[in-house]
Amino acid sequence: MPANIHDDLFSPEAIRDPYGYFGALRSEKPVHWNDQYQMWVVTSYERLVWTARHPEYFSSEVALRDINPPSPSIPEEDMELFGAVRNWMAARFTQNDGAKHKEKRKVVHGYFTPKAMETWRPLVRETVNDLLDDLQGAGRMDVMHDFATPLTYSIIAGLMDIPPSDRAFVKKLCSSMCGFDGNQPDRIRMYAEGVQAVTDYLAPIVAERVRDPGEDLLSVICQGEIMGAYTRDEVLANALLLLVAGHETTNDLISNGVLAFAQHSNQFELLRTDPDSHIVNAVEEVLRYDSPLKSIQRIATHDVDMGGGQTVGKDDRVRWVISSANRDPEVFEDPNELDITRNPNPHVSFGSGVHHCLGATLARLEGQEAFAELARRFEGFELETDPNNLEYLPSVGQRTLLNLPVATR
Amino acid sequence: MARQLKITVDYNVCVGNAMCETFAENTFGLNEDRQSYVKDAAGDPEETIIEAAENCPVTAITVEDAETGEILFP
Repeated sequence: MPANIHDDLFSPEAIRDPYGYFGALRSEKPVHWNDQYQMWVVTSYERLVWTARHPEYFSSEVALRDINPPSPSIPEEDMELFGAVRNWMAARFTQNDGAKHKEKRKVVHGYFTPKAMETWRPLVRETVNDLLDDLQGAGRMDVMHDFATPLTYSIIAGLMDIPPSDRAFVKKLCSSMCGFDGNQPDRIRMYAEGVQAVTDYLAPIVAERVRDPGEDLLSVICQGEIMGAYTRDEVLANALLLLVAGHETTNDLISNGVLAFAQHSNQFELLRTDPDSHIVNAVEEVLRYDSPLKSIQRIATHDVDMGGGQTVGKDDRVRWVISSANRDPEVFEDPNELDITRNPNPHVSFGSGVHHCLGATLARLEGQEAFAELARRFEGFELETDPNNLEYLPSVGQRTLLNLPVATR
Repeated sequence: MARQLKITVDYNVCVGNAMCETFAENTFGLNEDRQSYVKDAAGDPEETIIEAAENCPVTAITVEDAETGEILFP
């Protein structure tokens, strides 16, 4: 272990300040074996991009290939459930490599191209305005609960054409599943129950849309079964994947961004001078500065020489850390500064290589509309709590604020 | 005879998603850095190449008429 750096990825300070924790690791040992959680932790930009772009060495079939026991550990009686969850996770298109991944991703890829996503901008803008019309007079909001989540969830539920009367119920089920890569001993049970409940809800709707598909995103996923690329289980697993990933990362983008602007009021003032011309670079910078996803896991398919005398063994877990790569001084000047004019900004918040985030364009669009309108309406934000008291989801993967109460000016 | 195309990949933008290769496999490949490169600008029909460019998740590909310079995508 490098001097003075412990391996507890869930320690309060690593959760509160991943930049300090992983940044220290990056300067001392950018490819590090974490003995406590039995995984390689890759923290430099260069090694992250190399790892992400060599899927032949680092498999995305994580659920099926990870032969190690769950870490942190779970109760013995949940191990059978863990097996079922692994099989269920493996049905997602993202959990494939090579030609199989291409075939399965292609079913949904066309829906998310920049050209296709642009047609949704007016809907996103209208939703942002409706929410802010209600919030503007109050003088305060919990950004996560009052703005970010209602916005991103209503967009993805709308794209999937989930009946409006069911949306609150479905959202509650999605939220119950967010501890999957956390450290709670009962997390697998919670997750399995959530999966079962959403699957039970979606099954009859999916059956109907396989028979009679419409234009919505859920129907596009159902087309995967019609054209023979997905089984019914895969349709259900991918529907849930896109429903959850389609909002639980973008709400982090918006909340983390408002927090960044509350703490860097000069940058929000700069955005306000001309939102239309600054917004594209501003959203990229917010993505870089406090990325919604902190890290991604792969499984090594071979023994791999990582340089610096480090060899990853076949079947080892490898976790690459976006939050650290995005602050790598080898790539970004003044990496710990928020600079909304930063350009170029080759952050890796959407990953890199063949598994680059499918929904990146939707996330960007929602971020652009949200921050541009916030800049048009508000002079600034003040945290209603001590920044040291902000609580984050105890997760290795997600950078998720539990609440973000701010006063608005 | 199909018109000649000039296809450019912006290496500051390309993330190696390889969707271009999926849609137009005779035109695009991945280089050593796992970024897209044009192996044959006439490898596929024009509409297939445009479709490949449209499907790039980061809009890294520009397609022009090689003779007139007219931008065909984006």
